[in-house]
Amino acid sequence: MASLGTIVHFSGHYHFRHRLVLSILSGKSVRIDKIRPDDKNPGLRDYEISLLRLLEKVTNGTVIEISVTGTAILLKPGIIAGGSLTHDCPLSRSIGYFLEPVVMLAPFSKKPLHLTIRGITTDDNDLSVDLIRTVTLPHLQLFGISDGLELRIKKRGSPPEGGGEVQFLCPVVKQVKTLNFVDPGKIKRIRGISHAVRVNPQFSNRMIEASRSILNRYIPDIYLYSDVYKGEESGKSPGYALSILAETTNSALYCAEATSKPGVAPEDIGLQASRALLSEIKQGGCVDRKHQTLVLLMMTLGSEDVGRCRMSAPTTRTIQFLRDVKSFFGISFRVATADPSDPDCVQLLYSCYGTGYVNANRSLA
Amino acid sequence: MDDRPHKAHRPSQSGAKAEKKAKSKGKEKQQGFNEKAFAPKSGRRADRQGRRNVERDQTRLHVPLVNRTPDDEPPPVIVAIVGPPGVGKTTLLKSLVRRYTKQTLNEAKGPITVVSGKKKRLTFVECNNDLNSMIDIGKIADLVLLMIDASFGLEMETFEFLNILQAHGFPKVIGVLTHLDLIKKAATVRATKKALKKRFWTEIYQGAKLFYLSGVLNGRYPDTEILNLSRFISVMKFRPLVFRNTHPYVLADRIEDLTPREQIRTSKGKCDRTVTLYGYVRGTNLREGTKVHIPGVADLDIKSVQLLGDPCPMPNADSERRRKLSEKKALVVHAPMSDIGGVMYDKDAVWVNVPGNFTRGNTDILQGEGEQMVMDLQDVDETLDAAVARSQIKLLGSSSKALSIGPSNQDTSLDDDDDEESSESEDGSESGSEEELDSEDEEGNSDEDGDEEDFPLGEDQLQHGENTGRMSRRTLTRSVPSLKGKEKQNVEYAESDSDLGDDDDGAWGGKRVRFDAEDELDVPSDEEELSDEDGDQDEGSAPRWKVNLSARAEAASSRKPRRKDWMKLIYSTNLSPEQVLREGAGVSEVEAVEEDEGDDEFFKIKKRATGDEETLDMSKEPLNSDDLKQWEDEEMLDSIRHLFITGSSGSGDNDHGGEEDYEEEGGDFEDLEGGSSKPAGEQPPAPVDTEEARVAALTAKKEALKRKFDEQYDDPEEGPNQDFYTAQKDEISRQLALNIAEFADIQDPAARALVEGFRPGSYVRIELESVPCELIEHFDPHYPLVLGGLLPAEERFGFLQVRLKRHRWFTKTLKTNDPLIFSMGWRRFQTIPIYSLDDHSIRMRMLKYTPEHMHCYATFYGPVTLPNTGFCAFNTLSSEKHPGFRVSATGVVLDVDKSVKIVKKIKLTGIPFKIFKNTAFVKDMFSTALEVAKFEGAHVRTVSGIRGQVKKALTRPDGAFRATFEDKVLASDIIFLRAWYSVQPRKFYNPITSLLLSNKEQWAQEHAMRLTGAVRIAQGIPTPLRADSTYKKVERPHRRFNPLIVPKKLQAALPYASKPKLVKAQKAKDGVRGTYMQRRAVVMEPEEKRAVALMQQMRALRKEKVQKRRDKKEEKREEKKKKEAKEEEKKESKDKERKKEVMKTIGMKTKRDAEKESGGSRKRRKKV
Repeated sequence: MASLGTIVHFSGHYHFRHRLVLSILSGKSVRIDKIRPDDKNPGLRDYEISLLRLLEKVTNGTVIEISVTGTAILLKPGIIAGGSLTHDCPLSRSIGYFLEPVVMLAPFSKKPLHLTIRGITTDDNDLSVDLIRTVTLPHLQLFGISDGLELRIKKRGSPPEGGGEVQFLCPVVKQVKTLNFVDPGKIKRIRGISHAVRVNPQFSNRMIEASRSILNRYIPDIYLYSDVYKGEESGKSPGYALSILAETTNSALYCAEATSKPGVAPEDIGLQASRALLSEIKQGGCVDRKHQTLVLLMMTLGSEDVGRCRMSAPTTRTIQFLRDVKSFFGISFRVATADPSDPDCVQLLYSCYGTGYVNANRSLA
Repeated sequence: MDDRPHKAHRPSQSGAKAEKKAKSKGKEKQQGFNEKAFAPKSGRRADRQGRRNVERDQTRLHVPLVNRTPDDEPPPVIVAIVGPPGVGKTTLLKSLVRRYTKQTLNEAKGPITVVSGKKKRLTFVECNNDLNSMIDIGKIADLVLLMIDASFGLEMETFEFLNILQAHGFPKVIGVLTHLDLIKKAATVRATKKALKKRFWTEIYQGAKLFYLSGVLNGRYPDTEILNLSRFISVMKFRPLVFRNTHPYVLADRIEDLTPREQIRTSKGKCDRTVTLYGYVRGTNLREGTKVHIPGVADLDIKSVQLLGDPCPMPNADSERRRKLSEKKALVVHAPMSDIGGVMYDKDAVWVNVPGNFTRGNTDILQGEGEQMVMDLQDVDETLDAAVARSQIKLLGSSSKALSIGPSNQDTSLDDDDDEESSESEDGSESGSEEELDSEDEEGNSDEDGDEEDFPLGEDQLQHGENTGRMSRRTLTRSVPSLKGKEKQNVEYAESDSDLGDDDDGAWGGKRVRFDAEDELDVPSDEEELSDEDGDQDEGSAPRWKVNLSARAEAASSRKPRRKDWMKLIYSTNLSPEQVLREGAGVSEVEAVEEDEGDDEFFKIKKRATGDEETLDMSKEPLNSDDLKQWEDEEMLDSIRHLFITGSSGSGDNDHGGEEDYEEEGGDFEDLEGGSSKPAGEQPPAPVDTEEARVAALTAKKEALKRKFDEQYDDPEEGPNQDFYTAQKDEISRQLALNIAEFADIQDPAARALVEGFRPGSYVRIELESVPCELIEHFDPHYPLVLGGLLPAEERFGFLQVRLKRHRWFTKTLKTNDPLIFSMGWRRFQTIPIYSLDDHSIRMRMLKYTPEHMHCYATFYGPVTLPNTGFCAFNTLSSEKHPGFRVSATGVVLDVDKSVKIVKKIKLTGIPFKIFKNTAFVKDMFSTALEVAKFEGAHVRTVSGIRGQVKKALTRPDGAFRATFEDKVLASDIIFLRAWYSVQPRKFYNPITSLLLSNKEQWAQEHAMRLTGAVRIAQGIPTPLRADSTYKKVERPHRRFNPLIVPKKLQAALPYASKPKLVKAQKAKDGVRGTYMQRRAVVMEPEEKRAVALMQQMRALRKEKVQKRRDKKEEKREEKKKKEAKEEEKKESKDKERKKEVMKTIGMKTKRDAEKESGGSRKRRKKV
């Protein structure tokens, strides 16, 4: 009797994560085909399979059909169940890859999520767990998701061997608040975490020093913590990284990070990170470029009111995300210049009418 | 004496008169609020009064709810007229329509919309007696006129309807009592009114409004009463209902079938139809792409939505002015399903209904406006050519005013496709009117072919949407013969015209030039920009255009910072995200256009993007070392100083400086253009700007400081005012204002619909595809047709857990696995619930039947509905054969899931076949060793209460196992194992498709799932009777228990206390010797004999004596009792008398006291 409902079609392996997330949130089935059909190793990668498994754990009643060659999948979403879960990530991607979609889903689950996830905590491709803890989660607080939202870094794990472990705790909300965030304010403080595992602990101090050499000119309120993990907690491979964030008076956050590369001195890593932060600051807006999709998603899911947010120009991910939001939720954003009177304004104002998404999974019983 | 002047009047200063005057003056003063009158007498009373007032204030507060219905142009309020048959619903409807429109309704079908006030419209719907209609009406009605036959009393349908309302968010209800004239005696009327009011109030709330309508005059209720009723309707305020405030919905007031006739003919009418429905959007914004559910039909996809002109517009200043001129046309009514009105506006056509037969020239019969219109169209005496020529000339010669007579131009152009001139002029007029509307954000965009194709279409729609409005229609009475078909052609023409524009750029340029010259509007259109860019192609066109070119180019360059329209780039192009961005990065748009035009190039780019396997799905962008290098530059580092709080505080200069830096990086395109020719007017404003900016910044700073000060010092005083409630309300109103303001500047309705959908209150035409043909074939306007919008979550199916209570008026209990009809959300469906109760929070335990007077859980398979949604359930919806109360249960949705955990108890029994000490072998519980293995370690119990455990399977009898117990079990004991068996609700979902039937009430008989018993009766199958299930007399054999025998040896060894005490009373029985005293023989002497006899006689005498004495005493006691009773009675009567006396005096006293207290005032009153 159950009809499959509407199926949304996509092709290509791009933007795999947010399409799955949108499908689960909207309840529309998604069919993705032509996943690397011409590659010498066609089909889904191991981390994508692992992500699908993670989503299967987080949800109840999700049906995932993968074609024989692995180049096409059909996902019929179930409900987001939450609860206490454990997941082991493959070493090809870091925890950030898996945690980002979960962060988007977790507030709408039936039970509060308590996810233990193991793997690489920091790498070049995805947000490190430090940034997720210090930047991504505060973004959820803009939407009224705050009590009991926590990310605990139990162990750190650098590539290639990993061995890190984090716990993600997320409460359940009925409905997210409408965002109206137009004025970013001015930067009032800079914070950062530098860590070095299985290398000389002085490395983190060297990174901090280098970073301060750039940032000190702007503001005195800079604290860059040196986070030390020892023994069992420091994972299996050596590595170090610096993640910094700048907070404005209206608590907009900009963040950047740089990770260790073979043959690069820690000072250079520190400089890289702080310069990346400066370019992020220059982009301006209320939300930094890495979190555009998260904020836009939550705006889409807001109550049936106009939500507004000022951001810099969209990234490619964001553009595709906006299109996908339209195909899943029928919501189009209004993207206009933030300040029509100012001809040089490069920032954009994203406004939309929320869908009035109510967490249907939450139980009253 | 005569000329002596009269003495002036001197008011007396003292005496009775003066006193009287003073008193009256004082009274005058007291006419307002007398503070003293309600002042408390004592401090305690004051305290109590204060607390009471606070409590009352609290009860007045309600949870602040957002009202999504716009205040400026709300949709018509749906007023449903509900009641049992024969109560006078239609009469009331006719009276009300007459009151508002001054038109008489012959036959009321479907919704009737009227204007009732300055800012208010009403849609009247009559609800028939079908339960399906009542459910649908109950979900959409804002106000219910609940009609009650006073001569009969409240009927079952009324109660059912009230229960339906309660389950779906209670709308406002006004009771209307009719048939009061049928009651003869005035006293009976009064009594009936009182009784009915009391009942009505208990059903709704104390003080609910109840109206009384007396008899019918001229087929209508008396005008004064209807007037009163309409006043009550007009002042009614509506609190938003949660479900309707989260879902868009449309009450369709018109339905059209768009399916090609040929297709219907070939499929013999059985093909799926394409249908358009018309109505006002209500609830929340209706977005394209939402799924809708039509109760009684199915879930359907919206194919398209178009905004139409309001057929029943609210009065504005203009229409009001006209109203005074001709009172008759003033009162608008929109009822396409009924027989009034007569003119209908579609997207691309106008339909005129002519009732009966119609002859031209029959002037004595008053013509409707529609007929007049058609006749005007027929009264043309010039040819089309002439009209074309005339219109052309007119257009060329006239200014913008001439452009407004678009229809004539359109009409003229349609005959002649080659007539470029006219087509141009038409286009000019179109774009002209559009440009007046368009804001500047429309201008600098549209360089792709894609949006070129899109937007002119949108404009066309806009055009037609506007033309369909009542206001603009009056201009349509042109003297050019154009009938419906021709108009259609016209539309096609317009579309093809925009297409034509794509491949023929020269034509576009020419067109636009013409428009510029005539219109003198300075706002450039999309096409203008296009022509700017590929100006080289435009060379072949008119010379006038060339004259304009340079000026326009200058104008274009002055608007230098060309913003891209991100919305268009993102939503209405098929550029890849990378391409969109690259355009933003400063690649000149000409290039971009070229890129798009070359198809092969387009594909190449895409290949490059997709073929690149290295692009991972990652959230961090790789650090670009070149990008980072720029930060080694000190100037660059300083350029963002203003973004920090330590940087120079937000002065305009610094900001400006910062942004200039951006320009330098990204805007080389601008520099190129900026060097060429800036208009002289552009440069001076810059310094002025900075000056102004400085002033503005200063004021802003002052403002901020003031606000800060206020926050710091004023807040403690304002704090108590701004309590939670008002804060919430303020927040809501602020958000609503923002909602309106944010998209207010979007003029293009298509673009507006894209971002915010269709607002409540807009009249739309909704096109649906693959609608079952039965909806059209068996359409009956008496049944409401509702389109309920579904949220994304509600399209899914799953298991719903609800809290449910059987209705106390429903006579039967509800049984698990019996089908039940639910009305939940928009839907009505039949499904099979399983009832359960929470068993100590450990498990959900299945119930066979719903409990009495108690809530229980029910779980069933159905469409997902948001938790906290109310519902009501029915066993059947048909009125035949079920005279009782039909609402069988009500409740609320608690949980939605994809799986359920409900268990029922199961007891597995076995018997011991071999018993050791504490161990027994049990058989007959399981059939295989595997089953036993599954239950190893499970607890078992005997009937006598000995507990034990399953140990291990035995090899020999299959399914037997070894079990240990806490004691030795008897061979006669039954051993059982309590377990829980999970039950799954059946996946059965049967939507009620009542609207698809010719007889809408037949659904239950034809399509509903029936109970097994009903099927058996229908099929004539006897109920199977299993021999095991029959009741037999229980025969319990008498059980004999052997005496406990303790062996002698053991007895001997036992201590005395434990020895069995087996000594019985010794009695002489047959064969057994008694005691000595019993068995000795007694032989008496004669003397002894005598003595014994004497003793016996004496004893007998004494016995008798005692008896006599006793009897006498008894007699005496009786007598005494009687005496006492008499005395008691006397005493009581005396007491009573005395008490009466006392009470009398007390009463007198209190009366006197009371009189004393109020005596003064009464006396005074008497005096006055």
